Amino acid sequence: MSNVIVNRVKEFLKRYPPFSFLSDSSLELVAKGVEVRYFVNEEVLFEQGEPAQNYFFVLKEGSVELTEKKDGVSKVVEVCDEGDVFGVLALLGKRPYILSARTREESLIYAIPVAIFEKILQENSRVSLYFAAGFASGQVVVRSDLSQSQKARTAFTELSKDNGLLIFTGQSDLNYSHEVLTCQAGETVAMAARSMSEKGVGSIVVVNQKKHPVGIITDKDLRNRLVAKGRSYDTLVDDLMTSPVMTKSKEADFSSLYLTMIKNRLHHLIFTEDGSPDSPVTGILSDHDILLSQGNSPAVLINALMNTWEVKEMAKIRDRAERLLKYYLENELAMDFVANIISEINDIIIQRAVQIAKNKHDVAYPDESKVKFCFLSLGSEGREEQLLRTDLDNAIVFEDVKASKLGKTKEYMLLIGQEVIEILLSCGFQSCPADMMANNPKWCQPLSEWKKYFSDWILSPNQEALMHAAIFFDFRPIFGSKSLADDMTSHIYQEIAGKTIFLNFLAKNALLNPPPLGFFRNFIMEKSGEHRDKFDIKLRAMMPLADIARLLVLSHKIVGINNTFKRFEKLSELEPNYKDLFLEAGKAYEILMRMRAIEGLRSSNSGRYISPESLGKLQRQMLKNTFAPIDELQKILRVRFQLDYFGG
Amino acid sequence: MAWFDFLKKNKVPKAGFVAEYEKLFEKKTPSLRPLDQLGFVVLDTETTGLDPKNDHILSFGAVKIKGYRIIVNTVLEVYLDAPKRNKEAVQIHEILYDNQVFPQADFVKELLAYVGSDIIVGHHIGFDMMMLEKTLKPFGFKKFLNPTIDTLYLSLRLEKGPHYDISLGKPGEHSLDSLCQKYGIPLDDRHTAAGDAFLTAQLLMKLLKIAEKKGIKDFGSLVR
Repeated sequence: MSNVIVNRVKEFLKRYPPFSFLSDSSLELVAKGVEVRYFVNEEVLFEQGEPAQNYFFVLKEGSVELTEKKDGVSKVVEVCDEGDVFGVLALLGKRPYILSARTREESLIYAIPVAIFEKILQENSRVSLYFAAGFASGQVVVRSDLSQSQKARTAFTELSKDNGLLIFTGQSDLNYSHEVLTCQAGETVAMAARSMSEKGVGSIVVVNQKKHPVGIITDKDLRNRLVAKGRSYDTLVDDLMTSPVMTKSKEADFSSLYLTMIKNRLHHLIFTEDGSPDSPVTGILSDHDILLSQGNSPAVLINALMNTWEVKEMAKIRDRAERLLKYYLENELAMDFVANIISEINDIIIQRAVQIAKNKHDVAYPDESKVKFCFLSLGSEGREEQLLRTDLDNAIVFEDVKASKLGKTKEYMLLIGQEVIEILLSCGFQSCPADMMANNPKWCQPLSEWKKYFSDWILSPNQEALMHAAIFFDFRPIFGSKSLADDMTSHIYQEIAGKTIFLNFLAKNALLNPPPLGFFRNFIMEKSGEHRDKFDIKLRAMMPLADIARLLVLSHKIVGINNTFKRFEKLSELEPNYKDLFLEAGKAYEILMRMRAIEGLRSSNSGRYISPESLGKLQRQMLKNTFAPIDELQKILRVRFQLDYFGG
Repeated sequence: MAWFDFLKKNKVPKAGFVAEYEKLFEKKTPSLRPLDQLGFVVLDTETTGLDPKNDHILSFGAVKIKGYRIIVNTVLEVYLDAPKRNKEAVQIHEILYDNQVFPQADFVKELLAYVGSDIIVGHHIGFDMMMLEKTLKPFGFKKFLNPTIDTLYLSLRLEKGPHYDISLGKPGEHSLDSLCQKYGIPLDDRHTAAGDAFLTAQLLMKLLKIAEKKGIKDFGSLVR
C-alpha cells in the first residue's frame, strides 16, 4: 500500500545528510518512526543538563536556537535552519544535553526515535562517521559535506571512553579536590586542627613518609573523639584517625566511586596514584562533591519539584526520577531505600497537584475550601511500593458537614479530585481501570460515609468487599488533615475487634490466589489472551505476600506500617518463633518488586507479566526461591484461622 | 457479499465490533483534561461525489495526534473497493485502482478500532462523517459517538469569535487551501485523503496552540 504521509517525510529527509546516505528501505523505516511535533515561538525542546530524550531532532520548518549557559549567562551557540539535525548527543553517549534548544519562531520538528536510528548506525558506517564528525565539532550536525568525517575516527575512539558514563549525573565531570591537606603520622592533633583551620577544610589525611594514606581525621572526629571525650590536644593523630582508609584510582568510573561511598557510608574517598592504599595520595572526593555533581540526585529532584507549579515541569522531573530508579535497580541498591525515594517523589507530586487544584478552585468555593479533607493513596502507592507509574488508586475523605452543605462540598471535593487525577495523568501515571480514584464520586466521600463503607466490608465480607479491602485497607494520607485518616484507622480496628469472622474471610481470600508453581515445579503460565505463556508475577507471587502481610498486621492491630516488607519485619519482632520465615518473606517481596520494576522499565509497561525464558538461570532460580515462604505462610494461616473447618 | 443483503431489511443486527466501539463511551472524558492529554484522529475521505446517498468513499486517510505530536506510524491509509466508480471523480482525485484495494468489511472494522473514543477532526468533517456512517450502516452502526472538531469552524471561532455567521465571509475564504496558506503550511499531496489529513493535522496543532492562548485549555472548553 502506498503511503502518502510516510513518503512526504521521506522526501524531506532524503534531501539532507545523513539521511541522504540511507537506502530507500532504511529511510522508509526512519520515516515511519518519525513524530511530527509542532512548537510555537519560544518553546523549549530540551534544557541543558536534562537527561537525553529518546529522540533526536530534524528541523522541518521554522528556526531553533541552541544556547549554552555558562556562569549564569546564556549564549547562543548555533541557530538551526531547515534540515539541521540537533540533539544528537542522545544518539551516541546517552548523556545529558550540554546545550538548550528553543524555538525562535513557530516550528515544525521531526523527532526521530533513537532506537530506530541505532539499528541503522550499526549497518551504515557512513552515517555513524557523519554523526561522529558532527558531534566532535559541536552539538549541531550542520548540513555540510563529508570533509568533517576525516576527523571522525579519532573523535569516535575518544568518545567511547565515556560511553559508560552514568545516566543520572547531570554533569559529566566530577569536581574533586586535587590538593589534599595532609599531615604526617606522629604529629599531634592540635597541629592537624590548626592546619585544617588555616585551609578552611573539614578533613585532613594522615600520610606516612612515602605519602601513602594511613588514615583520615574529620571535624566530626575532633568533636566526638577528642573534645567530647576530654582528651588532650597533644594526642597523636595516629590515635584519633579513622584507619584504614578506602582508596580508589581517579580513573575509576563515577558509579563505582559513588557506590563505594554509599555502601561503606563514607563521607570521604581518597584517590591515590594506583588506587591502592600503598601509593601516594592524589586527591580527595567528599560526599558533598558528589551531591553537587548529580543533576538527578533525589535531593535535586525533590528540590526542583518544590520549586515549580508547572505540570509540564513536574512531568519532566518524574521522568528523570525513572532514570534514577533504573540506575538504582541496576546497581542493586536496597529496596526500602529505593521504594522510599520513589514514594517520596510521588507524594510530593500529589501534594503539589492538590495545591494546584486548590489554587484554581478555592476562589469559587470560599466556604467549601475550608472544609478539612485528606487525599489518600491506596493500594501499592498506599503501601509505598509503587516504583513504576502503574495504576493510580486514591480517594478523598472530608470531614462531615451539615446536610444542607453536603452537595456543594462534594462538588468542590470532586473538582479537586478530578484536577489532581488529570495532573497525575499528565505526569505519566496510568488511570485505574476499575476507577478507584478520587475523581469517582463513590470514592470522594465524607468521613461518616467512609466509616459506613468500612463497616459494610467488615460486617458482610462478600467477594467485592474483599477486593475493596485489599485496596482500601492500605490507605495512606498524602495531603491534608491526617486526623481524618487516623479516625478511619481507629474505626477499622473497632469494627474488627470481636469480629474475627472478617479476618477469617481475609485469610481465606489470601489463600485463594493460585499457586505459582505447578506439580513439576514449573511456572504456571497464563493460558490464554494477550499474555499467553507469561508468568503473572503480581497475581501469583506478590499479591499473596501482600495479602498475608496485611491480614497478619490487622490481626495484631498494628497501625501505620503500610509497606509489605516492613510489615513482615514488624511481624518478625512480634512473633519471634516465626522470625526467619517472616524475614524471608520480606526479602522475597523485595526481590519480586525489583524483578517487576526491571521488567517494567525494560519493556515500558507495568512489568506484571514476565516470560521465564527471558530470565537467566540464576534469576529463574531466585524467582522460584521467593515462592517458598508463600507456601509456608499459607500453611500457618490455614491453622491459625482454622480455615479447614471454616466453610465460608 | 453477505452483508449487502442487510440493506434491504429495516433492522440491521449490530456487529460485535460496533458494540465494542459503543462500549468505549460508557466512560466520559473529564471536561478539565488539558489539550495536550487529548487524543485526536484527524481524517479525510475522497469520494465519488458530494451526494451521500449515491456516492461512495474511494479512499480514506487518517493520522493520530497526541500532545502536539503527529506520530507517522499511526497513519491509516486505505483505498476502498467501492461499489460504484465514477469517472469524473477519478479524474479529479487521480485515484487509480490497483490490486491492493481494501474490502469494505475489513475497512469498517479497522476504522472503528482505530478511532476508538478519540476526538475526530477534519475539515468539513460533517460530510466525511456522513459518508463513513453510511459505509458503516450495514453493520448495525447508527452514528459516531466521538466528540468532533471541524477545523473550519474552529478557525472561525478563533478568528471571529464563537457566533460568526459563515455566510458573511467570502466564499472559499476558509477552505483547507486558504487556511493552510494563511497558517504557513506548505501545500502538497492535496486531493489524496492521507495528504489532506496530514495537512489538516498540522493545521489543527496550530489552531490548538492559538486556542490555548485564548484560554481554551481543556476538553470542556474545546468541545462545547
